[in-house]
Amino acid sequence: MTQEMSFFERHEFMIRRLHSLSGLIPVGAFMVVHLMANASINNGTESYQKIVYQIHSLGPAVLVVEWLFIFLPIIFHALLGFVFIFQGRSNVSKYPYQANYRYVAQRVTGMIAFFFILWHVLQMNGVIHADWFRETIADPIGLAQFRPYNAASTAAKALQNPIVSGLYAIGILACVFHFANGLWTMGITWGVWVSPKAQKMASHICLGVGAIIAVIGLSALVGFYKVDIDKAEARELEMYEQGIKSGTILADPHKLIDSQRADQENH
Amino acid sequence: MIKDAYDQTISSFTVRIERQDGPGSPSYWETFDVTYESDMNVISVLQRIAAMSETATGEKTTPVAWSCGCLEEVCGSCTMVINGKVRQSCSALVDNLLDGTDQELVLQPMSKFPVVRDLVVDRQRIFRSLQRVEAWVPVDTYYDMGPGPKVSRAQQEINYPLSECMSCGCCMEACPQYTKVEVVRADGESDADYDKRVNEAYDTQFIGPQAISQAMLFNSHPTGAQIAEERLELLSGPGGVQVCGNAQNCVTVCPKEIPLTTSIARAGRAVTVHKFKKWFGKS
Ligand code: HEM
Ligand code: SF4
Ligand code: SF4
Ligand code: FES
Repeated sequence: MTQEMSFFERHEFMIRRLHSLSGLIPVGAFMVVHLMANASINNGTESYQKIVYQIHSLGPAVLVVEWLFIFLPIIFHALLGFVFIFQGRSNVSKYPYQANYRYVAQRVTGMIAFFFILWHVLQMNGVIHADWFRETIADPIGLAQFRPYNAASTAAKALQNPIVSGLYAIGILACVFHFANGLWTMGITWGVWVSPKAQKMASHICLGVGAIIAVIGLSALVGFYKVDIDKAEARELEMYEQGIKSGTILADPHKLIDSQRADQENH
Repeated sequence: MIKDAYDQTISSFTVRIERQDGPGSPSYWETFDVTYESDMNVISVLQRIAAMSETATGEKTTPVAWSCGCLEEVCGSCTMVINGKVRQSCSALVDNLLDGTDQELVLQPMSKFPVVRDLVVDRQRIFRSLQRVEAWVPVDTYYDMGPGPKVSRAQQEINYPLSECMSCGCCMEACPQYTKVEVVRADGESDADYDKRVNEAYDTQFIGPQAISQAMLFNSHPTGAQIAEERLELLSGPGGVQVCGNAQNCVTVCPKEIPLTTSIARAGRAVTVHKFKKWFGKS
């Protein structure tokens, strides 16, 4: 070959395999842990708040972990995902076979996941944590609604609107399908399941895994919908004050809702 | 599978054909009326159409071009898209095709290969892909090397189905990851220059399921396996096995029922192992 190859062409194998891997580690693994953590809301405000305390016991390092192991890998996987989507030409109308529908579904759910995750991260996390951003942009348009030290009440508040929880249900199901089906294709890509029999069995197992994760994911939505917000806020404040006293959590009034934050900052 | 013959109450049927006068020229549709005879296949329909060279509305037209060879579904040269599905026209029987409610045949050239004329396409990319993965047994000596190693019965049973591939193009036509590459010849360009440009254009594009499967065939051939690692390196080059998106259309449409997705997974595994050996091993 005399032609100059592009960077993508020269490293296509590595890039595709890294994309495949990133779908499982860290992105897929994070998603599963995240959905399970959310589902703990069904054990009550405290269980959920405790998990969030654990995450935030890292202090400022949470940001590093977030970017390094969550945001950047998702961005990597999603951007490449879009490139791959536009390189293929789906043809289910001519070849309406099951695996072909799944090929299309993998791409459609990937795109839904992209927009869902973008919205979800902005709505809950807000990405930029500076006060000026919160006051001038985030609060007026309803971004960055989650407060780590009022975990249950703020998450619940954000999910009270049935349209919002409906969109969340769609987003979660899309992500879970994408993950479960991606697990199956990954097994072929890396050569884990080879024979038709093994591929079929793996397909059933991935379906089962997907169904379980879907139930876990959706149960969190139900759990948040049922939270009594006033009660949760009061309990969270109690937990915060106790935690500060016993030194088990790092004092950071920024991670509280405004009504409690002003109070704590005056202490 | 032999279906009940079409219970014929018609004397003729229509055939719509997507035509194209030459490489790069626009395609257009023509409709023909063909007198029904029992046991026709699509090739015999095309023979009638060429003999008539007259459209359904009675206008004279050029004969529709097609290609065929064996007429028994082993050479692959007659592959085209018939009623929306890619298959061999020699084994496509009119009685079965008209079996539905629709009494029309729709013939199109394969969409993933450059059209030469009408239903004839240039399948050079398929053969180029075989070259790209060195899908052959490397023997380049005049000396008598004696008999080759024995192949076990079990291995033969794995290899034989793969060896039935006739490079027809069905699997590539149906693959959503395999997209058309067409290089138009420049004015006054020599064959050598043109071929060089064509190959360059092909060489970074997906090799397709057939070449992956053939690479696996020759990697399990005792003599072919001498260059197994070389083939794996080529298989993971630009346009290699990694481009597969697991839509699995290939295995469904292959007329020879070649276990293409098994070959793809085998290739995936072999390449994974090969890369680990290359990066972490001594070889
Ligand atoms: C954010 C937007 C996303 C887009 C646009 C996207 C896109 C894609 C695409 C197109 C593929 C198929 C690649 C191929 O077969 O060549 C894929 C595979 C995969 N994705 Fe995603 N994805 C996204 C998010 C996610 C998320 C959130 C997860 C995990 C929960 C995930 C997990 C996977 C897995 C496991 C695979 C399988 C890789 C393989 O077949 O080897 N993706 N993704
Ligand atoms: S693998 Fe099957 S469909 Fe593909 S070229 Fe060979 S015979 Fe045709
Ligand atoms: S399994 Fe791979 S090679 Fe076969 S049709 Fe699907 S994408 Fe193409
Ligand atoms: S003519 Fe050879 S396969 Fe049809």
